[in-house]
Amino acid sequence: MTTEATSTPARAPSWRPHAVAVPQGLLVPVAAVLGAFACGALLVVATGLPLGQAASAFVDGAFGSAYAISASLNRSVVYALVGLGFIFANRANLTNVGGEGQIAVGGIAATAVALAPGVGQLPFGLAFIVPMLAATLAGAFWGGIAGVLKARVGTNEVISTLLLSFIATWLVYWCVQSRQLLRQPMTSAATLPESPAIPEAAQLPLLTGDYASPVTIGLPIAVGLAILVAVVLGRSRLGFQLKAVGLNPVAAMRAGFSTQQTVVLAFLVAGGFGGLAGAVMLLGDQYSLKAGFSSGYGYDGLVVGLLARGSVSGVMAASLLFGFLRSAGITMEMSAGVPTALVVVIQGLIVVAVAGAAFWLDRKQPARG
Amino acid sequence: MTTEMLAVFLGSSIRLAMPLLLAAIGELVSERAGVLNMSLEGMMLTGAFAGAVAAWATGSPVLGLVAAVAAVVPVALLQAFLTNTLRANQIVSGLGLNILILGATTLGYREIFGARSREAIPGFDKWSPPGLGDIPVFGEAVFTQVWLVYAAPLIVIAVAMMLRTTALGIALRAAGESPRVLDRAGLSAVRLRYGVVIFTGIMAALGGAFLAIGDIHTFTEGMTNGAGYLAIAAVIFGKWDIVRTAIACLLFGAATALQFQLPAMGIEVPSALLIMSPYLLAFLSVAGLVGRQTAPRALAVPYWR
Repeated sequence: MTTEATSTPARAPSWRPHAVAVPQGLLVPVAAVLGAFACGALLVVATGLPLGQAASAFVDGAFGSAYAISASLNRSVVYALVGLGFIFANRANLTNVGGEGQIAVGGIAATAVALAPGVGQLPFGLAFIVPMLAATLAGAFWGGIAGVLKARVGTNEVISTLLLSFIATWLVYWCVQSRQLLRQPMTSAATLPESPAIPEAAQLPLLTGDYASPVTIGLPIAVGLAILVAVVLGRSRLGFQLKAVGLNPVAAMRAGFSTQQTVVLAFLVAGGFGGLAGAVMLLGDQYSLKAGFSSGYGYDGLVVGLLARGSVSGVMAASLLFGFLRSAGITMEMSAGVPTALVVVIQGLIVVAVAGAAFWLDRKQPARG
Repeated sequence: MTTEMLAVFLGSSIRLAMPLLLAAIGELVSERAGVLNMSLEGMMLTGAFAGAVAAWATGSPVLGLVAAVAAVVPVALLQAFLTNTLRANQIVSGLGLNILILGATTLGYREIFGARSREAIPGFDKWSPPGLGDIPVFGEAVFTQVWLVYAAPLIVIAVAMMLRTTALGIALRAAGESPRVLDRAGLSAVRLRYGVVIFTGIMAALGGAFLAIGDIHTFTEGMTNGAGYLAIAAVIFGKWDIVRTAIACLLFGAATALQFQLPAMGIEVPSALLIMSPYLLAFLSVAGLVGRQTAPRALAVPYWR
């Protein structure tokens, strides 16, 4: 910051954090979701399955038991973390497509640290806190690569984060494939390669303490971080800086903001959220590293971030929707014989509809790059 | 490596590179005109699915190929409408289409094939050009391929000539560098961009159909398994040049073939690293570590008239 005068716009009363028209911004995603569900219902009818049975299996899978609700919530937490990271970087007009890879490296780091000698014996919950921090750092590093490339070389962040995701996915495979890395000693030829189990002390505590409703402390962590992101984006100088760089890098530079630093910082944070999501999956749900463990979570989280259209409450709503949607889809397949793919179709329709609808939503906003 | 092994390796590299190459040619033309088709993966899957279903239903792989192309056109039109008319984010709409198509083809596969899954599907026979097929060792392993393999280099040459020497090629490149200039010259950037997306769709469908009815002779859920993204990576690694992109595809095909070849030779390399290597190469390329960035200037930027 050079002078006090240049920073005054941040405090100018005319500036409001969520200047996007709210009613329309809410209407389109809701319409897209309802429309997609209607298409889903039509598909169920078209395939000749009883709609009522499918619907009741769907509701059962989402809300039918304490276990079902908990599983859906745990899934939502992962989506929410990735989505929060997405909207954070997106405030600077950066598109982080790399959630999948950031989850993957986070998972690797969480597993490696949780299994490191001595970590399992740490007191005061450090046994799971240290792996979580390691995962966050690993994710931030992975995201930071894309940020540095964008700032230094001008590499399109969509392409770099996408490629980094593929690289990270295969890193997981390599880690569980090689005995020198994280593979557990073979027990039988039939078992798929995976890491040794996460020690109990490193597993995330359950809110209820009961495995019948296994909601982990990931939930309050995600809610707390959501509030933090809302405050940072809406009320802090950093939030304004991100927005300024996103809307007009030249003007932001004139105002004394470093575009390059902002870009790198945005990606460090976005990646950190992805890495933390990976730790939550490993320590709170999967309990051992397997090839492809992140499959789809990162892209679902990306979709959550997109649907939210920049708002934290939007991320929370969309992550709950998708968390319950996916869980319900799995149950629906098992109990009513409706393929999970139906849920995938519904999800795809939502994304396509919202992507197309941006045409009407963005017309009132200043042109974005 | 014995001569036989080398021949088998070369042959399988070419075979594995073919779906990538076909899709990458389409994607290259599209990106040169400024449209990034993230939906390449979905378009390939559409081609694989439609090709497999039609070939299975009619018993004719040629009809399968026709069906693959016919099925992809609506998908490509939707992508073109989203990106060119609605000016949707090209990445978001592409990823959305991929999710949609993955779900739809999986659903369709279960509906149509159901319990009869893994049933063999009539595919193209292999053929060797006279003369080449008689070469000892290599004739059998390298030059006995489905006819699409021999068509691919011809398509590469035709597209390269089109891009370099024809008025259409110049207009396409202008659409990717500076669509406004193109519009001022009285040509429609939007119409050209519609055209390239449909062309990409057709090429991707050929690539997908090659997988299903040219190579494996079956359809499995999500069988493209990232080939579309790999084709995009090949275009990046090839620096948006068609000859380099074709070489990148062959290189990526060879890396995939090595997975099976190295263990046969008693060399222990983690297969994960081999599968990762094409993405790593493409990444190093975009990171500017392998030469300069040369992406079309208006790539992935919607055009506002």
